[in-house]
Amino acid sequence: MTRLAHLWDQSRCVACGACIAACNAANYGSTGRVNKTWGWLASNIKRVELVRGPRPMLLLVQCQHCDNAPCVAVCPTGASYRDVDGLVKIKAELCIGCKYCMVACPYEARWLDEESGLPRKCMEEECLSRVKAGLEPVCVAVCPAGARAFGDLDDPNSAISRRLAQSRYIRLLEDKGTEPKYFVVVGP
Amino acid sequence: MTAFQEIWSPYLIGPFLWLAGIAGMGSVAYVMLARQRVEGFQRLAYALLPAIVLALVFVVADLSRPWNMPGAILSSILGGTFGWVRSWMAVGIALLSLGTVLLLFLTLRYIADSGILVRIVDSTWYGVLLVVVGVLITIYSGFLIAAAPGIPFWNTALIPVLWLLSASVCALALVELLLHHGDVTRQVVRISVALESAELIAVLALINLALYGGSTAARLSAQALAYGPLAAAFWGGVVGLGVVIPLAIGIVSMKRQNRALTAAAAVLALIGALLLRILVLQAGVFEPIP
Repeated sequence: MTRLAHLWDQSRCVACGACIAACNAANYGSTGRVNKTWGWLASNIKRVELVRGPRPMLLLVQCQHCDNAPCVAVCPTGASYRDVDGLVKIKAELCIGCKYCMVACPYEARWLDEESGLPRKCMEEECLSRVKAGLEPVCVAVCPAGARAFGDLDDPNSAISRRLAQSRYIRLLEDKGTEPKYFVVVGP
Repeated sequence: MTAFQEIWSPYLIGPFLWLAGIAGMGSVAYVMLARQRVEGFQRLAYALLPAIVLALVFVVADLSRPWNMPGAILSSILGGTFGWVRSWMAVGIALLSLGTVLLLFLTLRYIADSGILVRIVDSTWYGVLLVVVGVLITIYSGFLIAAAPGIPFWNTALIPVLWLLSASVCALALVELLLHHGDVTRQVVRISVALESAELIAVLALINLALYGGSTAARLSAQALAYGPLAAAFWGGVVGLGVVIPLAIGIVSMKRQNRALTAAAAVLALIGALLLRILVLQAGVFEPIP
């Protein structure tokens, strides 16, 4: 079985925003259109700043491609589905725009594209076609600090499996039972 | 400042849930009155179809791809991906479609002079179907939001129960407004007092549980309603005008009936139920990460 997943290394990230900009450029043609759901630019990566100590902490949040995805469970038409590669995807032709997936996602990882009426999220067409061609998603490819990885969790030799084997990591809101596949590395 | 969910418009989905409840429990009230041959029970039939149609108008108005709805639903049914037993939204689409057809025939039964329609609609099985679909539509309107894991304040079994109680109060208010006469009013007032008392307990329990036992997001929602930016509308509109005053009028009316007062109580109960749904939707907050 294939279980594709994302990794973001908080300890390596330099907060340059290259992944966010690359997502915007590759998937939304560098549009200046506003993502009103997040009050952010048209990108599938959300930047969250946490101020809970002497210095602010950065967290990048995106679709977690959950094994037990609430967005898939609540979708009335099956427009949101979990593909055989383990990624959560959207079939635009089946989407009625009820936004149930958006209120069901505990990570608030989807935003509404007001032009098409579609909920948007990681990963979009450009990244999916790159992965199909054996390339990395754009956010992983452009990261100058090597803070991102992508690959098959079920393959012990994949980049992500090797990084996870050597790191301490957390998964966000694990208590929700969603079995997220977005790993936040917090240290070696 | 608490960031409330803005994905589902409280001013579209709130009225949708309210009207669906009125159509649902109104159908139950219609069948009960029709079986007892209460004078003027037909008037209720004319109110139910507009209620369910308006409910559909409100929910479709909140869709971001309404033009894609018929084709997508049909494709998903034919393709086997429709969430019959997986998604409350899909269950609702099926129930609301069935409810609309049932209420359309019910209205036509009184408008068109057709013997076949009269035989079908007046049959026992049609009444049973109306009751079952009506109750299920009301329960669905609660589960729809209770089953959205992104908003912890909604994730409680109290919501479907509260919606059922509140929709039952609305159905009785509708009966009171449309069929005011002695015996019916006495019975309606007595049942309304019981239901409004239960509704008051359920509303307070919803806030209390979230305030003291809920997750961070549920607590933020409850705080907003209890003493935050939504408190005036909640205590003044939902609890005061929508439940306590109708309840007090009901208790007084059990001893001495006053038509104007019971009608005012019915109108207030309807407004309170609408406000309840709008505010519960508006108060939705996502869990902070991490």
